[in-house]
Amino acid sequence: MATDAIRRHAVWQSTGLRNALILLALWEIIGQLGLVAGGALPPPSDILIRLWQDRGDYPNHIGATLYASVMGFLIGNAVAIAAGVAFALSPALLRLFRGINIAAFALPPIAIAPILALTMSGMAPRITLAALGVYFVTMTATVIGLSQADSRAEDVVRAYGGSRWTVLRLVQFRGAVPSILAGLRIAAPNAVLGAILAEFGGGGRWGLGTYLLGSLGRGEPDRLWGIGLIATLIAGLSYAGFALLSRRLLGATKAVTLNTAVPTGGTASTCLSARVRMALATVLLPFALWWALIKLSGAPAMIAKTPGDVFEYLFLSQGAAAAQARLLAALAETLPITFIGMAAGLAFAFLLAILSRLMPRFIEAFMPVALITQTMPLVALTPLLVLILGRGPSLTLWITISVTFFPAFVTLAQGIALVPKSAEDLPRAYGASRWTEMRMVTIPASLPYLFAATRLTVPRALLGVMIAEWLATGRGLGNLLNQSRGYLDYGMIWSVAAVSVILSVVFYQLVVVAERQVLARLGMATPE
Amino acid sequence: MRQPDGIALTGVSKTFTGRGKVVEALREVTLACPPGSFTSIIGPSGCGKSTVMRIALGLETADAGEVRVAGQRSLEAARQGITGVAFQDAALLPWRSVRRNVEVPLEVLGRTPRAEAAQVQAMIDLVGLKGYENSLPGELSGGMRQRVAIARALVTHPQVLFMDEPFGALDQILRRQMNVELQRIWADTGSTALLVTHGIDEAVFLSDRVVVMHANPGRIAGVIDVPFDRPRQPPLFSDPAFHKVCDRVAEALHGN
Ligand SMILES: Nc1ncnc2c1ncn2[C@@H]1O[C@H](COP(=O)(O)OP(=O)(O)OP(=O)(O)O)[C@@H](O)[C@H]1O
Ligand SMILES: [Mg+2]
Repeated sequence: MATDAIRRHAVWQSTGLRNALILLALWEIIGQLGLVAGGALPPPSDILIRLWQDRGDYPNHIGATLYASVMGFLIGNAVAIAAGVAFALSPALLRLFRGINIAAFALPPIAIAPILALTMSGMAPRITLAALGVYFVTMTATVIGLSQADSRAEDVVRAYGGSRWTVLRLVQFRGAVPSILAGLRIAAPNAVLGAILAEFGGGGRWGLGTYLLGSLGRGEPDRLWGIGLIATLIAGLSYAGFALLSRRLLGATKAVTLNTAVPTGGTASTCLSARVRMALATVLLPFALWWALIKLSGAPAMIAKTPGDVFEYLFLSQGAAAAQARLLAALAETLPITFIGMAAGLAFAFLLAILSRLMPRFIEAFMPVALITQTMPLVALTPLLVLILGRGPSLTLWITISVTFFPAFVTLAQGIALVPKSAEDLPRAYGASRWTEMRMVTIPASLPYLFAATRLTVPRALLGVMIAEWLATGRGLGNLLNQSRGYLDYGMIWSVAAVSVILSVVFYQLVVVAERQVLARLGMATPE
Repeated sequence: MRQPDGIALTGVSKTFTGRGKVVEALREVTLACPPGSFTSIIGPSGCGKSTVMRIALGLETADAGEVRVAGQRSLEAARQGITGVAFQDAALLPWRSVRRNVEVPLEVLGRTPRAEAAQVQAMIDLVGLKGYENSLPGELSGGMRQRVAIARALVTHPQVLFMDEPFGALDQILRRQMNVELQRIWADTGSTALLVTHGIDEAVFLSDRVVVMHANPGRIAGVIDVPFDRPRQPPLFSDPAFHKVCDRVAEALHGN
């Protein structure tokens, strides 16, 4: 058995290696012949030669990006896990902070990068953006992990008079580890992406984002590819590190029976006025925080706008009508493509996650490719895609699909991997086919994760579209943001950021409502 | 002064409301287990046996009525280490070895498992899992997992012992063996025991009294005293007098 597994693994490695070599050879030929978009895809040998020529530049750029990513990763995760524990202990706190959490998640880094660069100095904007990229994913993973602990095991501890804290310590923390690790796995490339986006948004001499931006105008595909590959390598390695860690920690510790208890926690207070007050507080808290941060930062009022300033800009000022018109036109361009891309990315992820259970071989062969393309930080990817796909809507669509697919696939694959053994043994015992087993157990059991994936995807889709618009297509919200940056139209910069965040929050909330309805009918928990 | 009852439920009612369905799980259940007595609850599936136990343990709050364990409120009794519990479902922590699972109650009560290593080992030996101390629950059979849960229930020397079908997944021979062992441990510790079971012979063999429950709403339909001397020996299982008591329990179960 064991030797068989090892042999299979070895075979897989060698075929994987063979496939990679074939792919490289193909790429080399295509590149040498200049078949793609007139040399937009240089052969690997050119890229390597260019990397070697540029070797003196890289250490400083990589060092700067790594520093910001690691610092942001550490700070963001520390805050996220602490917050996750607090939220798991107090559902009321979770409800109160809901607005802030979603806003922190949904705010498109591309939109606030220029704002951060204006109001902070040094490495602070980069670290902040990296931390923000990490916070929501890890916080959600922590809360899901803690709240989906085995309620029967919790009963044992409570039956001995164990306090809330004891339950947390003995049952929930350890039970949450796989979930948190899955979160960190997604968070790690996010931190790199956040750091690069911030470099991109302004300031500083070093960093891969700065380097990329500096090389973008020169039309040197081989250097752009080199930077993209290095950025991908860093993000991919950080992902692989956590994937390896979770593989070592998981294994024989899967729960052995399916927990069927209907969760009782999380029932909101019954009194209507209390509910309304809570909802109001949830909505107002992010705005209060925004206002407080502006006041505390002491940034000049010309640059740093409060919620009141933005409202005035959009509705009361002289140019209000013109500003509204520009904003609405941009939205009409951005929203449709966002939805199409998101739906496609999500469908692809769900299909693939299911296939990974039905056809493990196929997924083994596909996985390395998916990982490489998907951990590639977006900013590094976009210029390359521009070279290949041009500046049309298909570019936007592909970028959106690729940014939504990755987190959705990881979330779903994780959910499907968590389906307990005994639940699948049952249909198998009745001679069910792989597909029947899938339909009866795996898909229903992974439904909560499908919803979680959808929630994760909503703001990402918007971010992907905005980045493509900013960098390439010159349409929609992203372009409006970029233009306003050029015109020093701070009111519009803040308005676009606020509108995109509010939109994300609203869509997110719609998904949550649908999720509650469906899962409640199926007697499943809604992971927060 | 008279010692308080080991377990006392007075007029306990409980209704579950979930997903548009209302289930009256318990109506006016009154049950008193004198200190040191052994009581079994028997009844059809879904009649509220587990609910009685969960309410007595303080895991569920009753809609009406009063609950006392050793004269105290359930959770207070639990915090003092008075209660021990084995659930219908083994409910082991999948990432902990057998030994570390048995140590859970000690940890919850703030005792040091290291200091009671001998007791932990004794309980593991008692349930016949010597040699499996370091195995993970995923590597054990269903019956073995249940035996870990029994060892875990006994490790604190509880004064009041709750058991919800603890022998459900055991084979008949092992089950009889465990019945005899349980009787011995219970007699040694002088604890008050409440056992939920589906086995009539098991209930009669072990108990001073068998409480028969009916469903819809869950209620106590009758209490049957079991007069046999203790310690009871396995030959009792084939005694005609034993069968007579079993028949009375079966009659009460089937109603009229
Ligand atoms: N958390 C809950 N929510 C809703 N209904 C519940 C809940 N727990 C129990 N019930 C209902 O209460 C009734 C009694 O359940 P209980 O688990 O006490 O039965 P039981 O006698 O232990 O059955 P079994 O012998 O099958 O274990 C059942 O109808 C069950 O559906
Ligand atoms: Mg039961």
